[in-house]
Amino acid sequence: MTELLFFVEVVVAGLLAGTMYSLVALGFVLIYKASSTFNFAQGAMVFFAVLAFVGFMELGLPFFLAFIVTILLMGLVGYCTERLVLKPLMNQSEDTLLMATIGLGFVLEGLAQAAWGVEVRRLDLGIGDFPIQWIIDTFGLFVSALDLTAGLVAASLILGLSVLFKYTKMGLGLRAVADDPGAASSIGIPLNNIMLLVWTAAGVVALVAGMMWGARAGVQFALVDLALKALPVLIIGGFSSIPGAIVGGLIIGATEKVLEVYIGPYFGGAIEGWAPYVLAIFFLLYRPEGLFGEKIIRRV
Amino acid sequence: MTSNSEDILKIENIEVMYDSVISALHDVSLTVPRGKIVALLGGNGAGKSTTLKAISTMLASERGKVTKGKITYDGTSVINQNPTEMVGLGMVQVLEGRRCFGHLTVEENIITGAYSRKLTNSEMRDELDKIYTYFNRLKDRRKSQAGFTSGGEQQMLAVARAMMAKPKMLLLDEPSMGLAPQLVSEIFKIVKELNDKEGVSILLAEQNTNIALRNSDYGYIIETGNVKLHGTAEKLLNNDEVKELYLGISKEGRKNFRDALREEGSTKKENKFSKTN
Repeated sequence: MTELLFFVEVVVAGLLAGTMYSLVALGFVLIYKASSTFNFAQGAMVFFAVLAFVGFMELGLPFFLAFIVTILLMGLVGYCTERLVLKPLMNQSEDTLLMATIGLGFVLEGLAQAAWGVEVRRLDLGIGDFPIQWIIDTFGLFVSALDLTAGLVAASLILGLSVLFKYTKMGLGLRAVADDPGAASSIGIPLNNIMLLVWTAAGVVALVAGMMWGARAGVQFALVDLALKALPVLIIGGFSSIPGAIVGGLIIGATEKVLEVYIGPYFGGAIEGWAPYVLAIFFLLYRPEGLFGEKIIRRV
Repeated sequence: MTSNSEDILKIENIEVMYDSVISALHDVSLTVPRGKIVALLGGNGAGKSTTLKAISTMLASERGKVTKGKITYDGTSVINQNPTEMVGLGMVQVLEGRRCFGHLTVEENIITGAYSRKLTNSEMRDELDKIYTYFNRLKDRRKSQAGFTSGGEQQMLAVARAMMAKPKMLLLDEPSMGLAPQLVSEIFKIVKELNDKEGVSILLAEQNTNIALRNSDYGYIIETGNVKLHGTAEKLLNNDEVKELYLGISKEGRKNFRDALREEGSTKKENKFSKTN
């Protein structure tokens, strides 16, 4: 019985940690949907956003106000990106855009550190990274409060974004642009507005992801690399699917924890770091569009 | 203003270059009278699509530029506008190759066409109902994913989508491309109906000279970036040169490839075989 309970605990911890990956992956998906580009700057955006947030807090802004100001700042970043990077490169190949996002990443990393310094900051969300007593009493499970919060936040973000894309005019415009930007502009959908919306949304997602990660591991430069953990998540979930980002994150989170605990010892431990990539390779071999990726529609 | 109000579109001697070096149009002038259908005819690479894109300002996205001449649409000079602004002015282009949004449903595709307009839900419903009266076939398929509909349905969808912007002028680029003959006539019938009932002026680029001229008021034939011939549709249909080069009808009657080969092989048998058709 305790064995089973322990297994459940490992899986739950893995799933909740997975939502953190999902949050980062979500930012990638948004931009991939609109411009078919893998945004290498997403990691830098996570770092930039949360560092700015902590910076504003240090200036004495209350939590909520700092959050709003940072969102506005990410909107400004989105606007500048659209004006200075995307617009001049319009109708260039996707590879060109990919390289541009790498450059954008460096710029954001540099800006963030120039403005707020390089030392590791502590971010206190008022939610501890320790088990909740109530769940221990009721189910006998050890579940971290921070993990649980991250899970809830991710769930509500996904719900909000799904509703935005499915039921609003902007969302319809975005999906049209994702399918065929040329045709979308021929019927009067303003591409620049759509891009601005998407980059701002990706900025907000980056901020939330950065806050969750920052609360756990400290606000530091390593966040940029952590974001690359989203890559296997995207391969499994599909680059263009919001539910895919979520499920992919959960799968990665749960498998890496289970593998670490049960198989890790045979490999000398620490397989968490590479196990997700092995899983991703299997997906690339057998289901390259991912679990939820948009199938390539081909009429024959 | 040089254009009189009878003409919704007037193009005067435009030259178009791609990448500042490749010249696609040399000297094209044409006029579309308000409420009429004008056909722009010619073979591959003649410059039909380029002409349409010059008008709708879609050229810029392909690094093309109008380097000489002038385009006047509905009293406005077309210079630095972008496609979104042109749609706002009531000019919509249906791009070559249909270009429907494959992952959206048929109805969602149609709704995207009204993106430039502010409609309430009930107005949108009315507009959709009106569109479905022209495109009956699409009503049955409105819940299907557009990527899985047939070529003919996608072409209708592309036109329906464009009509949702409530255009004064429609630019159609090769609506017949890759479609079976009866579908082509069905689409042209709808286009003619839209022109009749909605009063929308139409400029259509076509390779299918016969059906295009039968459904137009006026025609222009362009070759390698120059206007070669123009006239009323009736006049062009009866023009010997058009018959020979674009309709495949010689003075001796309709000819097919086999006959032409045999003729070349033995000129003596010519009369015997040309009668078989």
